[in-house]
Amino acid sequence: MLEIHYVWEWPVRIVHWINALCIVLLSITGIYIAHPFTVGSGTGFYLMGWMRFIHFTAGYLFLLAVISRFIWMLIGNHHASWKAFFPWITPKGRENFVKMFRYYTFTGSKISHESGHNPVAATAYLGIIMLYVLQVLSGFALYGQAAPGGFWDSTLGWVFLLIDNQNLRLGHHLVMWLLIGFFINHIYSAWLMDVKQRNGTISGIFSGFRYVDPDEQ
Amino acid sequence: MAKRIAVDPITRIEGHLRIEAEVEGGKITNAWSSSTAFRGIETILKGRDPRDAHHFTQRFCGVCTTVHSMASIRAVEDALNIQIPDNARLIRNLIMGMQGVQDHVIHFYHLHALDWVDITSALQADPAKTSQIAQSISEWPMSSTDYFRQIQARVKAFAETGNLGPFQNAYWGHSAYKLTPEVNLIGLAHYLEALEIQKEIIKVHAILGSKNPHPQTFLVGGMAIPIDPNSQNAINADKIAYIRKLLGKARTFVEQVYIPDLLAVAPAYLDWAGIGGGVGNYLSYGDFPMDNSPGTGSLFFPRGIIMGRDLANLMEMDETKITEYVTHSWYNYSKGDDKGLHPYQGETNDNYTGPRPPFEFLNTDDKYSWVKSPRYLDQPMEVGPLARVLVAYAAGVPEVKAAVDKVLKQLDAPASALFSTLGRTAARGIDALLLAQKNDVWLDQLIDNMDRGILDVHNGEKWDPASWPKEARGFGYHEAPRGALGHWIRIEDQKIANYQAVVPSTWNAGPRDAHGQMGPYEASLIDTPIADPEKPVEILRTIHSFDPCLACAVH
Amino acid sequence: MKTNQPLSPAVIPEHVLERVEARGINRRDFIKLCTATTAALALPISFVPRVAQALEDNRLPVIWLEFQSCSGDSEAFLRANQPTAATLILDLISLEYAEVVMAAAGHLAEEAKHQAMEKHRGQYLLVVEGSIPTKNDGGYCTVAGQSALESVRQAADGAAAVIAVGTCATFGGIPAAAPNPSGAISVKDAVPGATVVNLPGCPLNAVNLTSTIVHFLTFGELPATDRLGRPLFAYGKRIHDNCERRGHFDAGQYAESFGDAGHRDGHCLYKLGCKGPETFHNCPTVRYNEGVSWPVMAGHGCIGCSEPSFWDTMSPFYRRLPKVPGFGIEDTADKIGIGLAAATAAAFAVHGVASAFRKHDPKEDSKVVKEE
Ligand code: HEM
Ligand code: HEM
Ligand code: NFV
Ligand code: SF4
Ligand code: SF4
Ligand code: F3S
Ligand SMILES: [Mg+2]
Repeated sequence: MLEIHYVWEWPVRIVHWINALCIVLLSITGIYIAHPFTVGSGTGFYLMGWMRFIHFTAGYLFLLAVISRFIWMLIGNHHASWKAFFPWITPKGRENFVKMFRYYTFTGSKISHESGHNPVAATAYLGIIMLYVLQVLSGFALYGQAAPGGFWDSTLGWVFLLIDNQNLRLGHHLVMWLLIGFFINHIYSAWLMDVKQRNGTISGIFSGFRYVDPDEQ
Repeated sequence: MAKRIAVDPITRIEGHLRIEAEVEGGKITNAWSSSTAFRGIETILKGRDPRDAHHFTQRFCGVCTTVHSMASIRAVEDALNIQIPDNARLIRNLIMGMQGVQDHVIHFYHLHALDWVDITSALQADPAKTSQIAQSISEWPMSSTDYFRQIQARVKAFAETGNLGPFQNAYWGHSAYKLTPEVNLIGLAHYLEALEIQKEIIKVHAILGSKNPHPQTFLVGGMAIPIDPNSQNAINADKIAYIRKLLGKARTFVEQVYIPDLLAVAPAYLDWAGIGGGVGNYLSYGDFPMDNSPGTGSLFFPRGIIMGRDLANLMEMDETKITEYVTHSWYNYSKGDDKGLHPYQGETNDNYTGPRPPFEFLNTDDKYSWVKSPRYLDQPMEVGPLARVLVAYAAGVPEVKAAVDKVLKQLDAPASALFSTLGRTAARGIDALLLAQKNDVWLDQLIDNMDRGILDVHNGEKWDPASWPKEARGFGYHEAPRGALGHWIRIEDQKIANYQAVVPSTWNAGPRDAHGQMGPYEASLIDTPIADPEKPVEILRTIHSFDPCLACAVH
Repeated sequence: MKTNQPLSPAVIPEHVLERVEARGINRRDFIKLCTATTAALALPISFVPRVAQALEDNRLPVIWLEFQSCSGDSEAFLRANQPTAATLILDLISLEYAEVVMAAAGHLAEEAKHQAMEKHRGQYLLVVEGSIPTKNDGGYCTVAGQSALESVRQAADGAAAVIAVGTCATFGGIPAAAPNPSGAISVKDAVPGATVVNLPGCPLNAVNLTSTIVHFLTFGELPATDRLGRPLFAYGKRIHDNCERRGHFDAGQYAESFGDAGHRDGHCLYKLGCKGPETFHNCPTVRYNEGVSWPVMAGHGCIGCSEPSFWDTMSPFYRRLPKVPGFGIEDTADKIGIGLAAATAAAFAVHGVASAFRKHDPKEDSKVVKEE
């Protein structure tokens, strides 16, 4: 018999969707910042001005979402816990990791059925969360350059002693593409698990509920 | 027994030049020219975007700033055969022309004058007599007795602080100084005036190039400064008027101060028309296109070669006959150091084998300089205003012939007097005069284009590297203030595969070659009289007459 | 706040003006100089007398050393306007050593330097132009047979302060550009102990040097600097944040190619590779050659000449971002990114098809139980 488990608590879901939204916004505006198209002269509409405004506002929202998720990693349920992103620290996690990995690569047919992330997904998420942090750091460091001595410059100015601002921009730019790459992958695997595990993977991130086989636990 | 001396640093030049010489019987019997600094910009250029090269090469030198940008963009344009718009030609001519004038003014007054003018003696001058002399040689307004008295007072006050600053420890009072206190005072006054003028007239570079030193509007395919009579962000009537005013200032100063001073100082030093001749071979690439036709047909200063001082026999210049030796330079060639290489095959593998500093003398039997030794048909060549003017003179360019004959007549000296230290200094003045006058012509042509609605400054057809051939190579020439400048570039896969520059001061300051032939500096020092080996002002006179630039020479 | 009160010569004590005149300096010029300098240093008008006092005191000994340089910064100094090089050399500083202009040569020049270093030990200002090579025990740059490293250390030892002028001296500049053939280093790295103020720029703007000198004369100390040792009064803001074309940047109006309508109308040069957004320098506010112009004003983008290793990080100069290491000149970050995204998509499409056809995990069907 399948039991219905409450896996994704609301903060996880909210954060998840806020992040998704921010990343879409930040990527669109970011690409404009990188490759602005010219609007005819004489217009009073500050296109680049708005793009940057949206970029920075979304940037702040993104920052808050990421921070809240980190906090929830400490107080949320065990699926949300930071431990969930290090599946391979337990023997069972390692076993399931191999299982899932072989499944994705057609070298095996068994799927691990857990209620939280499957271990491979969890590992990918760990990577993504790293990218989040990178983007926030590089983004706010660049942002700080407009106001030397200001909050962001004093907090993140040290970044420029490690890397020059041109290459930081380049990095900031490239990470965007990694996130877009993940996006594609992510939605696909969510779909794949949904049909293969029949466990409400997708609906789960909306509702939070998932179907779980007790004797798989 | 010959006495070995070293003059290091040679001051009032650009860069790090060291002259070693042997003096015997009051004359120089042997001499070595060495530059003691290396940066390696040719190596740094490898693998970079050819369109960026001019920004790098411009930093060869901040004194003759602009010239290496010119040669570089011409080299790339030659490689990709890009035809530039006529306006770009004119803006470039105006920038080059003003560079020539301003560079020569600074050289004559601030780098060279103190070899001939004893400013300490100027303090004894009688202002009234000074004013008379000044007014007898020129209509330049700043020549009243009061004016000279003021100058004298200011400098006296300066001297009385007991602190001569940049003027202390010089060779003042040396027996080789021959001018009267009054002429010395004129020289001193104009030293200060020139200091003001040079920063004014060079504003032409700021208007057309954004700043000086190192203007930034050079561009492969044209220029980056737009032209539009109806925009405040482009060359418009207002900027034209400003340029016109500055050109006038420059021209008046050269006509009424520089040239008269030259003619007033020279008679006291006519013996220097027989000293410092040097190798006697002259090379000029020619420059300043008068119209936009391809080729070198329309160059104001023609291209050519003079061998063995034979003005009757002007020869074609063929770039493929140029090679560079490193036999006595701190580099090695993969195929051996005794072979000369054409710049397309040129190599810059630094290999310092000199003494470990601190040292007293260089080992001149071995490698002894960072400057390479360029040769034309294996012969050392002198380049510079003298070479430029001689080639034009031999080619019979009317304006040049007129100017030269006028000066020779005034000093009543034969043309052969030009092959000398004094000749070099005089030719530089003539060069400045001709350029100061031509600048107005180029500005007129620019106005005429604008008038006819011709506004383009850049040819962008070949801007995108995708439009380039897989391999290309080009030669970029320029007549820089100090002479014939060449850049050779090889482009492969949109990147710089090899970049070699052979610079005026490379030609002139280079050490001996594989056959032991001296370079122009070295040769010109032989037989120079030295009154006091401890104070070899005579060495400065001849070396300064070339207007050395060692940052250029080595790059 | 009575900031724009009229500046009257009365602010400067008469006896100062008299002493100045005795030195052959025109009093109007001197007053102009003092007020201009006070303004340049963003000091209140009330400081004019103090500046005057400082300028009028005995000339400050200055030793100017050149190493791996192109002399562009010396030339920039000769273009100085407020005060001019002549005023500086004759009235404000005592230029004890400066190869480009000094009359003495050879060992007499060196002697002058060493005398000055002795006589003014602890008081002179050391200005250094050009980088310092470290390869082959210094054989890559010697003056009078002494290595650059040795002479800069010697001179810095007795200096009251060191000013590094130009990007070569401040950050290594062009000699230190990859692959740095001579092992060039900056003054700060060559003399770790010394207090060095960095005035980068290629060349530096003479205004920033004269203001720094006068600041030192006035307060007996060097101006406040940023993380890279650059005075805030000159390097405290990005070009981009003071640029006269910023309005066009925000409005999305860009020059697309040199000479096009946007370029002629003074639109933003961002798409032509302008590095103003990455560069801290006061070019737009003070400009060059007595305020005539600066690169962006003339129509060419900024190349970032006041930033560390700009020759490597700001190039290619006609693109906004550096090229991605290991890829060709024309491969932009985006070509690579799009390629990456497309590859992922393709991979998963294939994976999807394959998965659809694979036989089901036997357990599954048995397991699905509809719940009420
Ligand atoms: C830019 C877009 C997105 C990003 C960056 C993103 C990122 C993430 C991250 C980091 C997690 C881990 C959740 C956590 O523990 O915090 C996650 C989980 C999840 N996301 Fe997304 N997501 C995006 C869009 C989507 C979309 C559009 C869907 C639905 C089609 C989706 C479905 C899921 C599901 C089902 C999970 C739970 C997976 C599991 O249980 O293993 N995501 N996502
Ligand atoms: C998923 C997250 C993000 C993405 C995908 C993203 C994307 C981009 C892109 C593509 C650019 C243009 C880079 C260039 O070509 O020069 C850019 C610029 C920038 N981003 Fe982000 N960004 C993200 C997050 C942030 C955050 C959190 C901030 C913090 C405020 C930020 C601040 C900036 C700034 C200041 C710039 C430079 C804008 C300018 O110079 O006008 N970004 N971003
Ligand atoms: N020699 C030289 Fe230059 C010049 N004129 C370069 O081409 O001085 Ni700096
Ligand atoms: S910083 Fe620029 S101007 Fe100054 S020496 Fe170096 S290259 Fe020349
Ligand atoms: S021109 Fe350069 S500095 Fe000016 S606004 Fe545009 S990008 Fe910024
Ligand atoms: S190139 Fe340099 S001069 Fe100013 S505008 Fe850029 S910092
Ligand atoms: Mg060379």
